[in-house]
Amino acid sequence: MQTAKMISSISVMALLAASTAMAQEIDWKSQLGDHSGKTLRVMTITDPFIDSMKAVKDGFTNLTGANVEIDGYGYDALHEKELLACSQNDGSYDVLLIDGIWIGEFAEAGCLDSAEDKISENPDTFAWDDFTPSAAGQASWEGQRMCLPVGIYYELMYYRTDLFEKAGIKVPETFEELKKAAATFTNNPEFPGVYGYAMNNKRGAAAGQQWFEWIYSAGGKPWASNDIGSAEPYKDQTPTLNSQESVDLVQFFRDMVAYGPPGVESFAWDERANAFAAGKLAMINDWSVRAQIANDPKQSQIAGKFKAALMPHKDGGRTVSPVGGWIACVNTHGAQKDAAWDYLKWFASKPVHRDFVLAGGPPSRLSAMQDKDVQAKFPWTEVLFEAQKDAWVEVRPRHPLAFQLIDTVGAQVNKAIIGEKSAKEAMDGAQEDVTKLLKQNGLL
Amino acid sequence: MAYAVSMTRAPKEATRRSFLHDDRFQMMVFIAPTCIFLALLTIWPFIYSVYLSLHAVKLTAMQRAVFIGLDNYINLLTDPLFLRAMLNTGMLAVTSITCEIVIAFVIAKAFVSLSHLKWVNGLRSLFMIPMMVTPLIVGMIFSYVFNPVLGIANYLLGGVGLGPVPWFGGSTAAMISILLINIWQWTPFMMLLIMAGLLSIRADLYEAARVDGAKWHHVMRFLEIPSIKGIVLLGVILRIIDTLRFFDVVYVTTRGGPGDSTMVLTLYAYQQNFQFFQAGVGSAAAVIILVISIVITTFAVKLLRRIEDE
Repeated sequence: MQTAKMISSISVMALLAASTAMAQEIDWKSQLGDHSGKTLRVMTITDPFIDSMKAVKDGFTNLTGANVEIDGYGYDALHEKELLACSQNDGSYDVLLIDGIWIGEFAEAGCLDSAEDKISENPDTFAWDDFTPSAAGQASWEGQRMCLPVGIYYELMYYRTDLFEKAGIKVPETFEELKKAAATFTNNPEFPGVYGYAMNNKRGAAAGQQWFEWIYSAGGKPWASNDIGSAEPYKDQTPTLNSQESVDLVQFFRDMVAYGPPGVESFAWDERANAFAAGKLAMINDWSVRAQIANDPKQSQIAGKFKAALMPHKDGGRTVSPVGGWIACVNTHGAQKDAAWDYLKWFASKPVHRDFVLAGGPPSRLSAMQDKDVQAKFPWTEVLFEAQKDAWVEVRPRHPLAFQLIDTVGAQVNKAIIGEKSAKEAMDGAQEDVTKLLKQNGLL
Repeated sequence: MAYAVSMTRAPKEATRRSFLHDDRFQMMVFIAPTCIFLALLTIWPFIYSVYLSLHAVKLTAMQRAVFIGLDNYINLLTDPLFLRAMLNTGMLAVTSITCEIVIAFVIAKAFVSLSHLKWVNGLRSLFMIPMMVTPLIVGMIFSYVFNPVLGIANYLLGGVGLGPVPWFGGSTAAMISILLINIWQWTPFMMLLIMAGLLSIRADLYEAARVDGAKWHHVMRFLEIPSIKGIVLLGVILRIIDTLRFFDVVYVTTRGGPGDSTMVLTLYAYQQNFQFFQAGVGSAAAVIILVISIVITTFAVKLLRRIEDE
């Protein structure tokens, strides 16, 4: 235990030393102000990368004298707390990390200061073009670069290498292959206690986000003008939730229940990640940040026994990798904006981002994804680099109704998953509910 | 002249003194802090909720509120999800409270019968623990206990040869699981009340019943139940109000699912207010919940008074 602590202390010290060495490439003294005596408060999600943020924050204190306090909250609580604080002009937090899909809601509510001028003033340090294109897209709204995409995830499929070797089957690439592979591992005496696959089936955001994450790989799209690469994806928001592709996809979700553990209908992100880490699942798809959990021998029984692949797609189609994750923004009501911008400039810079990634943070820059040290430490990074090439930034809605819209779709998808409605009935219901919602809010 | 001045002042001072000593004035002074407290923290928020409920307004854009009359109420009362939430809340209240009363009565009887034993006091205190735990924590504990893959409930069932149960996976199973959690947490409360009622029955009444040859069910029907009726009804009122506010366990474990099977009124109002920030709809839902609470409580209190009079 003592040795482990010593090793981890040495690692952190080495990281900080490396951070300082790399930081010397950028002349931080001229880039950053003196913020001695200030305490900068950052509000973020309690995803695994919060520890990586804390691991590198002392570098900023050493350069500017400002203390950095990082507070984490759960997904719903963070959304609620940040927006409520904004509606009350609360500036107690200087930097807000928000989910990329909340940007429309936050921008519309006037909660964020735009990063556009700051980036234009200092393009080399911000190195905007080094962010993956879909990451950069997540942090932009209505043509403006609003925030910095520091914690971007891609959805990958993870599979147990030991089980696949034993079964002698190939890694699935299509929905049909996925079903067959999942069936191989479920209720099979050769794989006792193992189930094939668990999807994000829980009512609301979990099932709703899953539908948006898979729909492009199923050959569909969520609304009329949201074609991949479209310059105006929000021009015509007429929902296409009950298209044949969508109905087939929801039927696929329903079929996959047979290959999950009992109660898989109520599984969301944590239940799936925990079951996979406990060795109960042969495959899952999940955001890249959670691969850390499965690869940590302290939390996982399958560390070193899994690999990543691109998400499966419909027969004859192609994978469109879902992109998500966290963007760092300056609170428009904050009282220490200079210090906040300096922190973001420093934290999002190439060298500090690399350190953050090596400490377990999600790589959001192309340079970090291609870094040999990062790839050696986190083997799935190479797949991540492939995933970002085919990612589409508008895979989930990012307008002000995103939260409600995803929940509305999720409620109906879940009804199909539990067999309360057929896939067609459920998606007709979703089409009706979402159309009503968009009309009520003047978006149709 | 000086005499004249003092003559005019004296009655005024006397009037002021008598006003300060007036009982009604003193009552007003003592009641004033409570009135101010109620006005600021209860009545004003309620009036503001009613005002918001008549508008189409998002919490993040309050300045863009549009008056829409009763549209939010009409939309709510025609929204299948809200109606389902009302039905689920009602069902939860009836089933849960009925089970709590029956189980609590049996346990209270056991504790009263064994009250001469020393260790019973300790056991009774232990029995109170569930209701002392924060409901949010109860939800988290049971989300682990009922986890279909890693939870202890299915592990124990497996030990006696029973298959794993999808506790929160199916519509019926999820509702039963929520009911079980609610009953587990609040039976001790009902038991405490019933036990107090049973202990208040005079020993000579039991003795008289015994002399008259009454059997246990006669004692229960003609002596114990009439004696505890009032206190049980009080417990029922408190539990109905509690159930109308029931939120934490559902929020942590099922989020109203699977489907809409465990959606309750408070979760619906919470989602509208704090997840979707639809302050108008959320306020209308809150006002409806309040009206239901007031109607039920008024009816129950009247019933309670009638029982007391009897």
